[in-house]
Amino acid sequence: MKILPIVYLAYMFVSLYLFFFFIILYAKNRKELFSCPNAKKQYSVSVITPAYNEEDSIEGTIRAVLSSSYPVKEMIVVNDFSKDRTREIVEKLAGIYPKLRLINNEKNLGKAASLNKGIEAAKGELIAVVDSDSYPEKDAVGKMVGFFDDEKTGAVTSSILVKHQNIFIEKLQAMEYVIIAWTRKLLEYIDGVWATPGPLSIYRASVLKEIKGFDTANLTEDIEITWRIISIGYRARMCLPARVYSIAPKSSRIWLKQRIRWDIGGLQCISKYKKLFLTKGMLGLFILPFFTISMFLGLLGLSIFAYLSVRNLLQTFLFTKYSLVAGTHLLALNELYITPTILNFFGVIFFGLGLFFTIFALNVMKEGRFKGFRNIFNLLFYILIYLTAYPSIMAYSLLKIAKYKIQGRKIGWGTK
Amino acid sequence: MVFHSQKNVFWQAFILAAFVFALGILFGFVMENSRSASIEKLYFQSELDLLDIRIQNDIYSIENIKIDCLGAVQENIKFADRIYEEAKLLDKYEQANKITGNIILQHKKYDLLRTLFWINSIKIKNRCNASYHNLVYFYDYNEPSIEIRAKQAVFSRILSELKEEFGSEVMLIPIAGDNDIISVELLMNSYEIAESELPVILIDEKTKVQKIESKEEIIGLIKK
Repeated sequence: MKILPIVYLAYMFVSLYLFFFFIILYAKNRKELFSCPNAKKQYSVSVITPAYNEEDSIEGTIRAVLSSSYPVKEMIVVNDFSKDRTREIVEKLAGIYPKLRLINNEKNLGKAASLNKGIEAAKGELIAVVDSDSYPEKDAVGKMVGFFDDEKTGAVTSSILVKHQNIFIEKLQAMEYVIIAWTRKLLEYIDGVWATPGPLSIYRASVLKEIKGFDTANLTEDIEITWRIISIGYRARMCLPARVYSIAPKSSRIWLKQRIRWDIGGLQCISKYKKLFLTKGMLGLFILPFFTISMFLGLLGLSIFAYLSVRNLLQTFLFTKYSLVAGTHLLALNELYITPTILNFFGVIFFGLGLFFTIFALNVMKEGRFKGFRNIFNLLFYILIYLTAYPSIMAYSLLKIAKYKIQGRKIGWGTK
Repeated sequence: MVFHSQKNVFWQAFILAAFVFALGILFGFVMENSRSASIEKLYFQSELDLLDIRIQNDIYSIENIKIDCLGAVQENIKFADRIYEEAKLLDKYEQANKITGNIILQHKKYDLLRTLFWINSIKIKNRCNASYHNLVYFYDYNEPSIEIRAKQAVFSRILSELKEEFGSEVMLIPIAGDNDIISVELLMNSYEIAESELPVILIDEKTKVQKIESKEEIIGLIKK
């Protein structure tokens, strides 16, 4: 048996394994996916919102947070030296909402450093982080706090959904976010929540202070802090019914930059925690290998795809060149008939399983807007994007890291 | 709500995935073996037919029996067309063969059969002064480079177009030149064809075509 079919079959096995892994987790826990524990006590919650040039969305975020049905102790907006009207808007709202506090950075420090300033100033037992372009539902915080009755809980995250779903790229991300929320909840059952994203996550203040806040050198501070919390023995939990709506990138350029940042941040995390690889605890035994293998498989798949494409292109070029010399036909009708291989059958089955998995997740999450025949095409496109674009972005991210390392430059957010 | 981690899912998913994967592989084996079996059946019939043709020739070689040249040539042409079609089918199945190695073995058997047929074809041609042309196509079977692969694809195209154009005037005999078959190696040596030169078209045991030539030029070489 040749090497490529072996690699292909290995991919098939990994996909099949992951498919069953999530399906079993769902089957075992389907009745309590959407349940959240009632808090035995009243927690004081401080909300921190870092903001940089967010004049379009900050007011909505503040109003959404402060209209929460669970009373928040305070909301701290850390204005990271915005060049727009962010400061002015927050100051105006502070006059209306006494719980709202504004901290102004004297220079642009970045998201993680701004969050750390907010943590220093926060007085609550729990600290919620809400991005300045995100809008939590009224009952979101209230649904999440009950998880902190378990002393081992260090962080709780929520279902992040896309606020506006008007254009294709937004719809695409909306589907992706739903799948991520569902699988993140399922991963919780094996202690595998690997990120507590910025749109809405709540942390135990004492834990944040113990680990000295967010890592300012990491581009995905929300992943890094989760890994750090897990590494010192706490759990990260996921509250599926707590929903927050976030503004997703509208242009492919911003979307690409965001994905590159995620990839680079992920690689930074792997590099930082590599010593824990395959050591005791779910970070070393599952999250790190899962993260690394996913990236590796994506890149390997892309490399094989690129190799085969280049090889076929070269062969087609030579074939065309020789055919022109020989004066033969470039295409014969009988060559259009292809005898299917077992790998073709596997491919079709796995594509079908991927589609089923996506539709199933959307159905479980009660995302009715994705129903209908037209959306099947969106879903198919979405799966193709996952299979092709994401590994390409990863490869590009690696090149970018290498370039910045060589030039001795710091990698920034680059989205604004 | 007390949290219990469910780490047994790791091996449960593994068992399920392994079971379904094994079923898929089993299906692959069954599918490829069934293709291999259909090739085997065709081969068996072809082997019988060739044996029949050879025995006929042996009978004609007995001096007091007059050779029926027309019949012998017709039989030979019929057989050539048949193994040419089977070669195309074998090639298709071979390309779709990913798990088992059965078809590769069958390829060797077919190479031997086609070599035997070629020798028989030369004999009939000499004895009956037949007008058909033997076009033996020696190709690189094992891991050809991209360039050789492209070259072979064009040679195959030229030959199949010639076959369509000339029909029974041409005996098209494709043989893998690097399949470690001693009789093929012997014949290649006798016609001064090295393995490194593949692919090569040998026209009427006289002319070697190694470079890509136009179809018209090859037709010219056949008619020479």
